[in-house]
Amino acid sequence: MKIGAYFKDNLYKLLIFIVCYVFNLLIFFAFKVEKQVIISSSFLYIVCFLLILLIPYFRKKKFYDYLLANTLALDKSYLVLETLSKPEFYEGELLYQVLYEINKSMNENVRLIEEHLQDFKEYIEMWIHEVKIPLSTLVLISNNHKEQFDKKTKLQLKRLEDYVDQVLYYARSENAEKDYLIKEIDLSKVIKNVGLKNMDAILENKIDYIVENVSYKVLTDSKWLEFILGQIVNNSIKYKRNIDNSYIKISVQETQEETILIIEDNGIGIKNSDLKQVFDKSFTGENGRNINKSTGMGLFIAKNMCKKLGHKIDIESIYNEYTKVYITLAKNKYYDVLR
Amino acid sequence: MNKIMIVEDEELICNELSQLLENNNYEAIILNDFKNALNEILEVLPDLILLDINIPFINGEALLQNLRKESNIPVIMVTSINSEMDEALSISYGADDYIIKPYNPNILLLRIGAVLKRTKTNYNTNGNELTYKELKFDFQKGIIKKDGIEIELTKNEMIIFSYLLNNQNKIVTRDELMTALWDNTYYVNENALTVNISRLRNKLKEIGYADAIDTRKGLGYILS
Repeated sequence: MKIGAYFKDNLYKLLIFIVCYVFNLLIFFAFKVEKQVIISSSFLYIVCFLLILLIPYFRKKKFYDYLLANTLALDKSYLVLETLSKPEFYEGELLYQVLYEINKSMNENVRLIEEHLQDFKEYIEMWIHEVKIPLSTLVLISNNHKEQFDKKTKLQLKRLEDYVDQVLYYARSENAEKDYLIKEIDLSKVIKNVGLKNMDAILENKIDYIVENVSYKVLTDSKWLEFILGQIVNNSIKYKRNIDNSYIKISVQETQEETILIIEDNGIGIKNSDLKQVFDKSFTGENGRNINKSTGMGLFIAKNMCKKLGHKIDIESIYNEYTKVYITLAKNKYYDVLR
Repeated sequence: MNKIMIVEDEELICNELSQLLENNNYEAIILNDFKNALNEILEVLPDLILLDINIPFINGEALLQNLRKESNIPVIMVTSINSEMDEALSISYGADDYIIKPYNPNILLLRIGAVLKRTKTNYNTNGNELTYKELKFDFQKGIIKKDGIEIELTKNEMIIFSYLLNNQNKIVTRDELMTALWDNTYYVNENALTVNISRLRNKLKEIGYADAIDTRKGLGYILS
């Protein structure tokens, strides 16, 4: 509460006082009151007025200053009510009550939305499990009757499966709930699984899948990391250049604090103007538009998941030369706290 | 022949899965009565169980817990729930492996083979050795030997040879071999597979089995 602004706000009181005082003086003069009486009663008037003006200021200042400072300081400012004690003046009580009611109604609203979101997420997860049943059946049928279904069917089924997985992990990564389990795993196992899953597409596209020494233990959720890595490898396959020696190279760099997983390809790369936005939701960029198979969700979800797991994901690329993705996994210290 | 029991409520999957297993020299048995699942399993006493988590009357995980009180039959959880938490839980209840639907059938077969090999030492072998006619294949040392001659195999050749050996007298597709190789190493392309097969043939020829591996055009290879 600034005193200048407070006085300005109470200017009307001063005006009323001055008008009253002038009339009073006129009455005093009309009745020919003695000078000493006029002076002493004027003094009394002014002291009284200042007290009437200043006492409420100091009574309110403490409460409002606290309210303002806390509101600005909190990152969730709607929690400000919890930091205040009930004020002892009427206006403050009113404000306090209003804030309380607003808070209550907002909480109810938020809870309602959270419930809806949770229901929706549960439905999505359930739907994914349902849709996987016919999908598994199709995979088995196409395998048992190879004469009727060729490799194309297999690749299309794989695409379906990938999209279904994408929805699943989107639902999981967007939710506040903890859906992952961090434990020590072997990176090479994750990398092998990603390769195995994408084997057909890699072979079909005649890409060299080069894996350098990657036997490192890391702390992460292997399913989540597998998905993240899958998205990146998928992109590398999707955006390969029409050259003979296409490759995807996976390697690891280790420092004292971090393990960095590097996925490099010599595909079409990403234009500089698009590079900053590849992790944005629904961003497809020039590549996505030209190749026309992009939802712009893969890397967005991957980034979100990395954030939740406490990993860092960065991308580096030169158009028509290469793309390099770095996933940085922190070592123990951080997770010692988390676990 | 190993008996594999399928615990799964989706009829079509059951049928296709049992066909897949039978095509690969397993005896497939489908669980009928989910209400008495445990009793039926203990009556049949399969060599391995493929267990879905979402089954009627009893949850797959609970069934696994009950089963573990009675028996150590290897169990592979087959489920559409793709989460680390559920996998960790299943493993802690005593599952031997955890496979997520939809799975690559070749990978499922590899996992079944691996679990059986791990849990049954007499699986078609004695100790670390497989045999092919008079030839002995020591896959710990990676050598094939006959009449005192020993020839070393590379890792990829070993994977191919043991896969062919486990499926003797049956056509093995390039796809299956490729999956087996990718499951064990990281990456092998079509050319490398061809090269490895011809190297393996040469080594077998050196030891006296010139025409052991036959090419069936458009289908795959067969070890006869």
